[in-house]
Parts: sequence; structure tokens; C-alpha cells
Amino acid sequence: MIVLFWACALVAIASGIWTIASRQPVHSVVGLIVNFAALAILFLTLSADFLAMMQILIYAGAILVLFLFVIALLTIGSAPIETGRGRLAFQAAPSVAAGIAALVIMGAGLRVAWSPTAAGPLNDLGSVANFGQQLLTTHVFAFEATAFILLIAIVGVVMMAGRKELRF
Amino acid sequence: MPQVPLNLYLELSAVLFIIGVIGFLLRRNPITMLMAIELMWNAGNLAFVAFARNYIDMSGQVFAFFVITVAAAEAAIALAIVVMVFRRRENADVDDISIMRG
Amino acid sequence: MANFFLSAAPLILFFPLIGAATIALFGPYVHRSASAFIGCLSVGLSFLLTVGVAFVILPLPLAQQAQFDHSHFVGYWAHIPPYLIISFRLLLDPLALLWMLIITGVGLLIHVYSVGYMAESKNYRTFFSYMNLFVFMMLLLVMSDNFLWLLVGWGGVGLASYLLIGFDYERPIAVLAARKALIMNVIGDVGIMIAMFLMYAHFGSVSFQNVFNNPAQIGTSALSWIGIWLLVGAVAKSAQLPLQTWLPDAMEGPTPVSALIHAATMVTAGVYLIARAHPIYDNAPLAAEIVAIVGGVTAIFAATIGCVQYDIKRVLAYSTMSQIGYMILAVGVGAYAAGAFHFMTHAFFKALLFMAAGLVIHAIGGEQDIRKMGGLASKLPFAFWTFLIGAIAISGIFPFAGFFSKDDVLDAVLTFHHPVLFVCVLVAAGLTAFYMFRLVFLTFLTGPYRGTHEVHADADRTMTVPVAILAVLSVVGGWFVLPHHDAIAAMLRGSFSDAPLPQAAEFNVGLTFGVLALALAGIAFAWAAYQWRPQIATALHRSLSGLHDLLFNAYYVDVLYDWLFQRPTYALALWLRDTFEVDAITALPAAGVRLGAALGELANRWETGYLRRYGLTFVVGAALLLFLYLFLSHGSAAGAAP
Repeated sequence: MIVLFWACALVAIASGIWTIASRQPVHSVVGLIVNFAALAILFLTLSADFLAMMQILIYAGAILVLFLFVIALLTIGSAPIETGRGRLAFQAAPSVAAGIAALVIMGAGLRVAWSPTAAGPLNDLGSVANFGQQLLTTHVFAFEATAFILLIAIVGVVMMAGRKELRF
Repeated sequence: MPQVPLNLYLELSAVLFIIGVIGFLLRRNPITMLMAIELMWNAGNLAFVAFARNYIDMSGQVFAFFVITVAAAEAAIALAIVVMVFRRRENADVDDISIMRG
Repeated sequence: MANFFLSAAPLILFFPLIGAATIALFGPYVHRSASAFIGCLSVGLSFLLTVGVAFVILPLPLAQQAQFDHSHFVGYWAHIPPYLIISFRLLLDPLALLWMLIITGVGLLIHVYSVGYMAESKNYRTFFSYMNLFVFMMLLLVMSDNFLWLLVGWGGVGLASYLLIGFDYERPIAVLAARKALIMNVIGDVGIMIAMFLMYAHFGSVSFQNVFNNPAQIGTSALSWIGIWLLVGAVAKSAQLPLQTWLPDAMEGPTPVSALIHAATMVTAGVYLIARAHPIYDNAPLAAEIVAIVGGVTAIFAATIGCVQYDIKRVLAYSTMSQIGYMILAVGVGAYAAGAFHFMTHAFFKALLFMAAGLVIHAIGGEQDIRKMGGLASKLPFAFWTFLIGAIAISGIFPFAGFFSKDDVLDAVLTFHHPVLFVCVLVAAGLTAFYMFRLVFLTFLTGPYRGTHEVHADADRTMTVPVAILAVLSVVGGWFVLPHHDAIAAMLRGSFSDAPLPQAAEFNVGLTFGVLALALAGIAFAWAAYQWRPQIATALHRSLSGLHDLLFNAYYVDVLYDWLFQRPTYALALWLRDTFEVDAITALPAAGVRLGAALGELANRWETGYLRRYGLTFVVGAALLLFLYLFLSHGSAAGAAP
């Protein structure tokens, strides 16, 4: 199992770096798909069966396809974006430094503050049945609220993208 | 089969998160920046699921599920904004847009 | 019938309050005579109930009397067991009853007198509302069974006094006098508060029962401090040295106010307080001696000033101060019954003197200067005779009321073996007779009328009847001690059964005749200097002009206080206003504004509107917060995690 973890971890990190390093947005999407797949396998090792499924279905299947659509619709034939120095090029070094500093702090925090407890019996943690029961009993309010948020998002997107002469 | 320690998952989560952060800070293409944000969401999710496994508590997984849902909504709205930006101007470098100044 | 009076006892307290509220709320909607009627009625009902209660309680044997001490539970002021429980019960012991009788009885007479005296005032209704409020507060003061409610009444009478001294609020001098009285009285209130804090610290309670049960248990030193702080309160309220300067100025109030508040009742609250707190003073001889010294010195101090004043009401004010000095001296030497007795007779004759003087002032258009009076006996015979009765009574001439009570006080002082104090009050007795008859001669007898205002002898019956009743009381008020010398002590025995001294002082025939002779000498000297040979007065005035100025300006105490307190305070206030405020108070916020603006400018530079700039800021901030939380909050978060 530890081997599987390391394999997935390395794939996830590599694909993550690939995602943010690619000049072409389409390449980034491909990197992200690989990343999500690796995460889905990690979810399986954490006995989150249902979530692993959702990771593939929603993220890879829906969200990233949305990204692809936007890229396909908008950037064909337009000028490449990241050519030449950006206006905030000087910010690159501090940004990387801040990110690494945050990572060090988090890692050190995990070492200092976190001492995990031993896991108990698994039962059927993360199974579809268990998940569904939790979702519709304990967390039913959050579930309904999420539905409402999605509705608002749909309405908002239609309002914004569907109008032509919005000026800013 | 040896159990993978919780800390390893959490550290992986931290690394993925920081990759997302650095990507967000370095890239100028709004679509790539959004993908960096998606990376951060997923890093968080990994931590949630790892905790859920550690404590045998479904709440962590359910929360991750909600995160996925909200991430979907966020992506949809953000991409709608990007669409509008692209409609308005050919070049959508975020550094060229400074109307957020009050 | 007995039960009826006892169960109605709380109404004694609340009738005047209801009266005050009724007049205040509905006065403007009814005829002005209705306000006066309500004002008199409420006090009258209180008086009738008080008489009833007194006749029920006073004849009872001692053991039965005691059960009425704390009989009526009205409510809790604070109920935080076991730390603080302050209830409010009515106290109906003989001492309280005596004060209640005088407050409601003399109060009723003065209310009736005010109906005529204040007839031309445009704030007629307000006046009766304030007067009723005063009676309520004064009753609250004497009927309370703990120091807290006593202090409420104490402050309340101070408020009523303030309102009534400044009743003619269009005259700046009256407003200033009211303010002065209030400030002086608040010094006393603070003194009582400190005494209460000490009591709470030592006894854990401020109720009379708990404090007086065994006061010696906390040691003489602590007890002395309690006694001294209580004395501060008594001194301020009773206008004793060194807080006496407000009383003469308080004469700016209408004459009925002077009679009721600044002669008969409120200013004797200090006497009541010390008599009430007698278990403290009995066990703290030092504090008691200070009380006696304050009283004795004030008695002669005020009497000397009274000899040279020209304002008729100011003379009476200094006389009040002096007579209260007698009472304070009496309670200071442990002769509580004698002090209470003198309070009673003094209430009669001093109210009478003020009201008779009020008749004169009323008749000659508000003039108070005795140099502009004279020869009024024929024009105002009623005022003359009543004033004369009052003057004889206060001088202590047999068989008028003042004779008996003053004799009691002097007998007690004699047994105290304090020669200086004894001489003080003896001289004061002679001076009292002198300055009172100086008033009688200058106002009513010598020469023709010197004033310019026409004399209107038109006092109506509401004014003359109360004066007549008080005149009768001033004559017969002391007679009930004739059959038994210790009658007053017997009446009050329920309140002073635990006092160490016998309350009926040794009767001393030689002293009695000696004082009588002194008083007669004072009268004779007044007659000689102002009636028989006026040149004696002029000659004295010329040869002793330095002394005269000293006395006329009341030993320059006001000037002293002006230099000691008022000017430094004023200078400090000026400095604070002109220097401190400009340099510190105003400059500081201005500097703060500049700093804020500079910081804002700095922050503004960072706000570029670029998304990635905000992102970087956000990440740095989040990393910092994480760092702070993990490594700096309570040392380390390591201990917080499971």
C-alpha cells in the first residue's frame, strides 16, 4: 500500500507542476486530469470509494470539460497571452519564496502539532450506502444549501455569459 | 499491508496546495490560474479525506463532497467571467486588468 | 385601633411622596389652591398617623416596644446572600417617633403657613411639590432601619434643600447659595458613605441591628474611624464647624423653607444620626469627644457671629447653628435624651422665630435688614408678641420651653468634666439671649420705623394660626418634664436603654439659676445697648471695629475657603482649559489623525488593483497567520493537539 501511495504521490506532484508550468492551457488541462486521477486512487486507498468516483465524474468529467470548452471557444486565433515580461514580473521570486515559506511552515506545523491517533475498524466507511445515508440525514441541510448554491451559480453564469454588452 | 501514516497524506496535501499557490501567483493566463485554484481545492480535499479515514468519521468525506460541489460552482462562474474578459479584449493577461483598484 | 395605626405606618412615609408626585404631575391641571391643599393634606395625614402610632407604641413597656423597631418589611434593596443583604424595614422606635412627630407636625404648620406666605409666588405648585418631597425624604431618613436607606434620605433632603434654596432661580445669588449648600452637603454624604464602607468591611452589614448589636467587637480604633466619618456627615448636614458656611447663605430660600428645613428638621439630622449611632460613640470615646468639641465650639462660634449680623434671617441662621451645636454637644457627651429634647423645643421656637420674622418680612415687602426696621411692635403686634415668645424661649427663661431643654443639656455637659466646653456653652447661652433681644429691640422697639417700604399688616389666617400654635408650643413645650425631671429620658428609654450614661442628668439648682442669670444679663445688656442708651452700641462698634469686622465676616471662613479651595481649583481649571487642553488634549488626536493619514497613504500604494498582487498579499498573510498560530500562540500548539 505504501508503494501505491508513493507512486500516486509522485504522479500527483509531477502532474501538478506540469499543470502550472505549461504555456498551453490545453496541456495544463491534461496535467490536471492526470493529477485528479492520481488523487482518485489516493481516495480509494483512504477507503473513500464514493468520493473517488465523484472525483473522476465531476472533476475530470464535468469541470475539466468545461475548461476545455472555454479554451477551445476563446483562445483559438487569439494572441498568445504570456509572451514577454508581465507587468508584475518582479513578483515572481517573492511569490515562489512565499509559497515555499508557507510549505515549510505547514510541514513544520505538522511535525510539531500533529500526532495522529491509531485508526479503528473501518466498517464500510466511504461506501455509497453509508455516504448517502450521512448526506441525507446528518448533513441534509448542507446538502440542500449546496443545491441552492449550484442553482445560483447556474443563474449567475447564464446572466453573465449570456449578455453581450456588459462594459467594464 | 503496512498502513500509510496520516502525516504522509497531509504532507502530500500541503505540497499540492503550494504548487497551486505558486501557480496562481506566477501565471498570467486566467484559465491556468483557475486550474491552479482547482489544484488547491483538491489538496484540501485530500486532507479532509485523510482525516476522515484517520478518525473513521464520515463528516470529512461529506465535506469533501461539498467542496467538489462548490468548486464546480466556482469554476463555472469564474469561467463565465473569463469569457466576458475575452469578449471585451483580445489579450486577457490579468496583469493588464487593474480595475479592482477602489 | 392600635393595629390599624401600626399596619398603616408605611403610609406615614408614603403620603408625602404621593403628595409630591400628585402635585408635580397634575398640579398644572388644577387650581393652585388645590396644589396647596394636597400638599397640606398629605403632611397632615402623615401627622395624624404618626400621632396614632406614637400613642400606641410609646406607652408600651420596653420589651414590647422593641418588637416594633423593625416591624415593617418594605422590600429588599439588595439580596445577594451570603455577601450582602440589605432590606428596607421601617424603624418605629421612640427616637424615630420623636423626629417623625416634629417633621410631620411642624411640617404641617409650615405647609399651612406657606399657603399664605407663598401666595404671590408664580411657582406656587412647584413649591408645595418640593416641600412634600422634602418631608418624604426626611421621613425616609429617620424611619430607615439601615444606613443605606438613611443615606438615601440624607441625600434626598439635600436635594430638596438645594431645590428650595434656589427656589427663586431668577436671582443668581439664590442659585449660588443652593449650589454651595449642595456641595457642602455632598461632602457629608461622602463621609457617611465611607463610614458605611467601613461598617460593611468590619460588620458585613449596614443595618442598625447588625452594626449596633455588638459594636465593640471590631476594636476601638476601627469604631472611632466609623464614628468620625459619620460625624463628617453630621457636620455637613447640621452646619457645624468646619462645614458651616452654607447655612447662612441658605437663607436666600423662602422663609418657610428656612423655618422647616434650615431650622426645625433637616439641619438636626446630624443630631439624629449621632443619637441613632450612639452604640458606636458609646464604645469609641475619642470619636464621641470630637463630636462634643465640634458641638461646643460651634455653639460659641456661631453665637458670637450672630451678635453683629444685620440680616434678620442670617441672625436666626447663626442662632440655629449655635443651638444645633448645643444638641451635638449633648449627644457627644452621651446625653442623647437631652439632645433630642433640645431638638424638639428648638423645632418649636426656631420655627416660630422664622415664621414670625417671615410675617415681618412679608409685611414690609421682603426687606430683611434690621437697620431698615424698628418700631414695628405697634404696627405688627401679632408678629411682635410671637417673636418675643420665641426669643424668650430660645434665651432659656423659665418657664418657656427652651429653659428646660437647655438646662438638661448644661447639666449633662457639667457632668462631662470638660471645663472649656462648659464655659463655651455658658457664654453661648448669654450671647444667645443678647443677640435674640438685639433683634427684638432693633426690629420691633427702638425708634421709629426706619424702612422705606410701606407696612402692610395683612397676614391672613393661614399664616397667623400656625404661628400662634407654635407660640403656644414654645411656651408649654417643656412643661411635661415639670412633674418628673426625667420624663423625656423615660419617653426615649426604648432607644437609649443600652447607653452607659443615665439619660436623666443630675439636676443642678445652682447651674439652673446661674444660666438664668446669664440669660437675663444678656437681655439686660441688649436692652441697655439698643434701647436705653443706643450710644453704648455705637461706642462699642467704634472702639472694637476690628472685632466687629471679624465677626461680621464670620471669622473670614468663607474667604479662607475661597483661597484654600476655590481659587486653586479655579486656577487649575483655567490651566487645564488654556494650556493642557490646547497642548495635550487637542494636539494628541491631531497627531493621531496625521499618523492615520500617513499609514493610509502607505497602504494605498500597495493597492494596485492587480489580481496577482492581491494574491501574493493574501498568501503572505495566510502564511504569517499560520506561523503565529502554530508557533507563537500559547508557546506551541503541540500541547493543544490530542
